Amino acid sequence: MNSSAMQHSSHCTTLRGTAYVRQTLCCNRRIRQGKRLLRGVVTLCAGKVLLEVKDLEAKVAETGNTILRGVNLTIREGETHAIMGTNGSGKSTLSKCLVGHPDYEITGGSVTYKGEDLLEMEPEERARAGIFMSFQSPVEIPGVSNSDFLRLAANARRKQRGEPELEPLEFYGFVMPKLAALKMNPDFLNRDVNANFSGGEKKRNEILQLSVLEADVAVLDEIDSGLDIDALRDVADAVNGLKRPDSATLMVTHYKRLLNYVVPEAVHIMEAGRIIYSGGLEVADILEKDGYEGIKTLIKKEAAAGREPVAA
Amino acid sequence: METLCAQQGLSAQGSTFTARQGQRFVPGPASCSGRQHLPRAAQGLSKGQTYIQNGSRSCRARSINGKQPVVQITVSAEGPNGAPQESLGVVAEDGWIARTLAAYRKDADNAQTLPGPLEEMRMDCTAALRTQRMPTTRNEEYRFTDITPILQLEPQVAASATVLPGEAIAALVEASPLKEAAARVVVIDGVVARQLSDTDRLPQQVFVGSLRDAPTLPAAQHLGKQARLRGSPFALVNGATAEDVLCIDVPEGVTVEGPIHVLYITSGASSTVAPRLLCMLGADSSAEVIEEFVGPAKGADTHFSNAVAEMDLAERAQLKHGYVALEGRRALHMKGTLVRQAALSSYRLTEARLGGRLTRQDIFIEQVGEETQTDMGSFLLCGDEQLHDLHSKLRLEHPRGTANQLHKCIVAAGRGRGVFDGAVKVEQKAQKTDAGQLSRNLLLVPRATVNVKPNLQIVADDVKCTHGCAVSDLEESQLFYFRARGVDAATARKVLVYSFGAEVTGNFAYAELRARIQAAVDKTLASVPVLEEPNAQIA
Repeated sequence: MNSSAMQHSSHCTTLRGTAYVRQTLCCNRRIRQGKRLLRGVVTLCAGKVLLEVKDLEAKVAETGNTILRGVNLTIREGETHAIMGTNGSGKSTLSKCLVGHPDYEITGGSVTYKGEDLLEMEPEERARAGIFMSFQSPVEIPGVSNSDFLRLAANARRKQRGEPELEPLEFYGFVMPKLAALKMNPDFLNRDVNANFSGGEKKRNEILQLSVLEADVAVLDEIDSGLDIDALRDVADAVNGLKRPDSATLMVTHYKRLLNYVVPEAVHIMEAGRIIYSGGLEVADILEKDGYEGIKTLIKKEAAAGREPVAA
Repeated sequence: METLCAQQGLSAQGSTFTARQGQRFVPGPASCSGRQHLPRAAQGLSKGQTYIQNGSRSCRARSINGKQPVVQITVSAEGPNGAPQESLGVVAEDGWIARTLAAYRKDADNAQTLPGPLEEMRMDCTAALRTQRMPTTRNEEYRFTDITPILQLEPQVAASATVLPGEAIAALVEASPLKEAAARVVVIDGVVARQLSDTDRLPQQVFVGSLRDAPTLPAAQHLGKQARLRGSPFALVNGATAEDVLCIDVPEGVTVEGPIHVLYITSGASSTVAPRLLCMLGADSSAEVIEEFVGPAKGADTHFSNAVAEMDLAERAQLKHGYVALEGRRALHMKGTLVRQAALSSYRLTEARLGGRLTRQDIFIEQVGEETQTDMGSFLLCGDEQLHDLHSKLRLEHPRGTANQLHKCIVAAGRGRGVFDGAVKVEQKAQKTDAGQLSRNLLLVPRATVNVKPNLQIVADDVKCTHGCAVSDLEESQLFYFRARGVDAATARKVLVYSFGAEVTGNFAYAELRARIQAAVDKTLASVPVLEEPNAQIA
C-alpha cells in the first residue's frame, strides 16, 4: 500500500516539485466573476483532468429543496481529494449527484468526465465508464449472492471496455486475489449482498466492489463512519492499494483520522451547497482544532489580507 | 397508468390491485387503516362460526348436485364405535359436507378402531358440521377466494386404509431430502407411514409419530380443542374426517436439535385427504417443525388436501415452524394453522407457497401470556391459474408482546391471483405491544391481481405498531444499487424478482430446502414475458 502512495507522491514531485505543490495549495487561487465564485483552483499534478464539476446546482427531486448551489471542483489523474463540511452542507448530495442518484435533480451547471457530459449518462453508464461511489449505508439484497452481484457488475464494466466477460469459475480466479489483497474472508462471496453484514463488513464490501470494478474515479462517501481503528486502517490501506497513477479518489468525511491514512493533496470545505475553501491537509488540522469557526476565521483573515474574498 | 383500487361492499379496508394492459411495476397507493372493525362473522372470532346463511345457498347446492337438490344421507346404526344418535337422519345440511362425510364413513366401516381422542374429535366435529354451511364468495372471509373447485370435486376415499409405498411415493421421498433433519416423518394421504419415517435420532423423551401408536399420550387430550373454537369450516371438516393424527410432543425443558421434517405426500388415490398435526411444546422446550407438502405422482386427477395443524406452546417454549407447499398444479389445498402461545414463548413461521391451483392458509394465533414473540414470514408465488390466499389472525391480549409479519407475494400471470388478509388485533390489556406488519406485492403482467387487506386493530393505547402495504414495484434503493454498479435496470429487475421471496425463504437454514423452493420459483418465473429479455427496456 505504502509503496503505491510513495510512487504516487514521487510522480507529483517529478512533475512539479514538492515546493511548488505546497505553494499552489497555500495560494488557494480563485477566479471570480461578478458575485459568483467560478472556480476554486488547486493545481497539483499536471495529469489529465478526469472530472470537472462546474457550478453544479441540485435539488431534492421530491421536496424541491435546493441542496447544491454552485459547486466547482476539478479532479485530475493521480489526485486524492477530500471534502469536509457540516451536516447538511451537501457533501453526500454531491457524491450522489455524480453517480446519478434518482433522489436528486440537477438544476444547473455541468459535470464533465473524461471530456464527456456526465449528466447525460444513465447511472449504469457512469458506473461502466469508471465512476464509483461507495454508499454510506449500502442496501441489503437478500437472495442475491455477493459473488453473483460482483460478477454482474464486473462483467458490465468489462463489456464496456471490450474485455471478455467472465464465467463463474473464471470470476473466482479474478476475484480471489482481490479478496486476499483486501484481507477479506472468501466466505464473503457466498453471503447475500450486505445481508446481515456488520457496519465494518458493509464498508469492506464497498471497497471490494471498487476493486472489482477497477474504477477510475472513486467517490468514497463516509467510508470511515462506524469503523473501529483497526477496521479503519484496513479500509484505508485497501483504498491506498487501489490507487493508480491514472485514477483519482474523492473522499467525503467528517474526521481527519481517515486523512491520516489516505493522505489527500486537497481538502475542500463545503457549506450551504458550495465549496467555500480549498487547501491542503492543513485545512483539516484547522478544522480538527477550531472547528468550522476556525475555517471561517481563516477565510475572513485571508479576505482582510486582500488575498481572496470568499462568497458567504 | 393508474393503479386500479377498487373497494366494494362491506370491506372498507380491502384493496384490489390489478395490473392493467401496458402497466408494469407501478407503485400503487395501498390503502389500509387501523381502527376499523369488521363484522364479527368476518372476523371469525371466538364465538365460533357464524357464517351468514341465506336462501340462495341452496340454489348453489342444486346446481352442483344436479339431480339431487337436497342431500340427505342416512347411515346405518353400526358405526365404528356404535353410531351416536345424532348420526341418524341428516348428517349435514350442506351438500358437500354431507358427501364428504359419507365418503369417509363408507371407508370407516372396515377400518380399525380409532384412538380415543381422535374418535372424540371426529364425533365432536361431525356434530358441529350438521348446521355448518360452506362459505361462498358472499362471505367476507372468502370474498376473493372462490372455493367452487373444491365443492365440485366428488369426494372419494380410497378403500385401503394402509397405503403401500409405491415407486412413485419412494421417488417423491427421495426428491425431498433434508439432511440436517433430526427426524423425518412421511404422511401419505393423511396417514403416518412408519416404514418411511425415521425418528430414531430424537431425544428419548420426545414423541413423534402416529396417535395410533400412542393412544394414551397425555398431549393428545388437546387434540381438536383449538380448531373446534377458532378453526375455519375446512378445519371442522378435517376434524370430522381425519384418519390419523401426527403427534409431536416435546416435553418440558427438551431441546430438539435440527428440524423435524414432516413430508406430506398426496398419492392421488383418494380425491380428498385430511392430514392432521398436533404439536405440543412443554415449558422451556425448543423445536423446529417443517411441514412440506408434495405430490401427487404424475398424471393424477385434481385432488383436495385439507390439512390442519394445531400447535401449543407452553411458557418459554420456542417453535420454528416451516410450511412449504410444492404440490402439483392440480392440487386444491386448504391449511389451517392454529397456535396458542403461553407467556414468553416464541413462534416463528416461515411459509413458502408455490404449488397448487387453489391454496389457502388460515393462521390463527392466540396469545395466552405476556411477552410472547411472534414472527410470520410468507412468500407466495402465483403463476398461471393459481390462487394463493393467506388469512392470518393474531390476537394480542397480554402486555409486552412483539409481533412481526412480512407477507411477500408475486403474481406472475394474468390469470393468477394473490389474496392476503392479515389481521393483528391489539386488545386493551396488550399494552407495550410492539407489532409490525408489512405486505409487499409484485404484479408482473397485465391483469395480474392481488387483493390485500393488511389490518391492524389497536385498542390499547401504549403500543408501537406499524403496518404497510406496497403493490407493484421493487425497492428503488436496491435497483439503484445495481445500477450504480453498472448493471442495467432490466437485468437488475430480473435478478430482484427472482430473489424477491428470499427475504422470507432465507429464514430456512437448509440449503436443500431453499434450492427446492428456488427451483419452483425459477420454473414459474421462466414463462413470464417481462423477465425473458434482460435487455428489454421497461417503461
